[in-house]
Amino acid sequence: MSLPRFDYHAPKTIGEAVALRQQFGDDALVMAGGLTAMILLRERLVSPRVVLSLSDVAALRRIDANGGLTIGAMVTHSEVARSEAVASLAPLLREACGHVGSPAIRNMGTLGGNISHADSASDPAPALLALNAEAVIAGPGGERRVPLDQFFRGTLTTAINGDELLAALFVPRSAAGTHSRFMKFTATSAEAFATVTVAMSIVCDGANVCTEARIGLGSVAPTPLRARAAEDLLRGRKLTRESIAAAAAAAAACTDPSSNGQGSAEYRREMTGVWVRRLLGDIAGL
Amino acid sequence: MHRLSVMVNGVRHEQDVPSHRTLFQLLREDLDLAGTKDACRQGVCGSCTVLVDGVPMRSCLALAVRCQGKHVTTVEGLETGGKIAPLQQAFIDEGAVQCGYCTPGMLIMATALLDANPAPTEGEVRAALIGNLCRCTGYAPIVRAVLAAAKNRHPPSAPSSSRAP
Repeated sequence: MSLPRFDYHAPKTIGEAVALRQQFGDDALVMAGGLTAMILLRERLVSPRVVLSLSDVAALRRIDANGGLTIGAMVTHSEVARSEAVASLAPLLREACGHVGSPAIRNMGTLGGNISHADSASDPAPALLALNAEAVIAGPGGERRVPLDQFFRGTLTTAINGDELLAALFVPRSAAGTHSRFMKFTATSAEAFATVTVAMSIVCDGANVCTEARIGLGSVAPTPLRARAAEDLLRGRKLTRESIAAAAAAAAACTDPSSNGQGSAEYRREMTGVWVRRLLGDIAGL
Repeated sequence: MHRLSVMVNGVRHEQDVPSHRTLFQLLREDLDLAGTKDACRQGVCGSCTVLVDGVPMRSCLALAVRCQGKHVTTVEGLETGGKIAPLQQAFIDEGAVQCGYCTPGMLIMATALLDANPAPTEGEVRAALIGNLCRCTGYAPIVRAVLAAAKNRHPPSAPSSSRAP
């Protein structure tokens, strides 16, 4: 039960937090909600000299709805799921965050902690990819933005440098006529890790002609990813059973799943296609 | 060392804590509140769940230092004036306690649920308890107990002699 020894720092501002990141580098473990950090510490998977807690940085707990949605990195999944701004501007994210773990986990876990940990099974990540979100990263030089589809670099690896912190997620305004769907497909119980997660944001008109398509996939590759080949088959075309089937097959083909307790690689690939097809069919009313 | 001041079950508690002490250790080892349990150590089983400022959290994954100035409620804090809460009585009446290990966490989650949603549906009760594992009861009597407590919920009663100080 005991954790290893470390010094605990809880800066009050983003600037102080960045300065501590510069000072300690890899000797500091950043702690957001604490769910991942505490397990890493308890299992001795890391042995940092310092824990850099973001719990007291008030600026990271805000949700701003000016010109799009900016969600501070320390906003919890519960707060995202309860937020009226998120409900109106990004209902897809509200749904995704409502699926994280269980209520007590959602009360502690943060959106920023989840995304910067970059687990391929993250529930919000596919939704944020489908929403064309950006990562707002704070560093010594100020703030920079990285489109989320360039943010996930590899297994548990992101674009955040050693002297930087994820400060917020930015979700641009959705176009009129946007349809979104989310499916966290689990093989066992609802709070388990997903076999595949599909999130989509599709813009189509009354005649089912699709002008924009973004499909985020989780748990079927080393990182959360966009099913770009599927999107390319949908954009500019009418949604029909045939075009949907082709897009679903393309989505399955772009996966690179591993086999684990949530399913074999073959099953996950198959279910990716099934759920992309079903969700698109639901949007199209087919 | 950090000088920690925290309210636990309505009583202020002050002590020096090292950075690495968990809220779970503080409650059980420093305050002898053994109701909160430890099983998975990963936040999955729910047996360590307590309320922090009224919000359910996993004490096994919380550092004690992060509770500075907060109000923590454990299962021991659910009674008032030496009387168990109606929710606890409902668990007894419905046979929702077998080995008892999951019970404190279940009571904490159900307390938070009923405070926020006094008349939950069965689906809402099950969704609220989804992060609390029970190996004995099969969950049905626990769900029945929460629904029964919701149905029989009384508002706080008037006589000051029955209130906790």
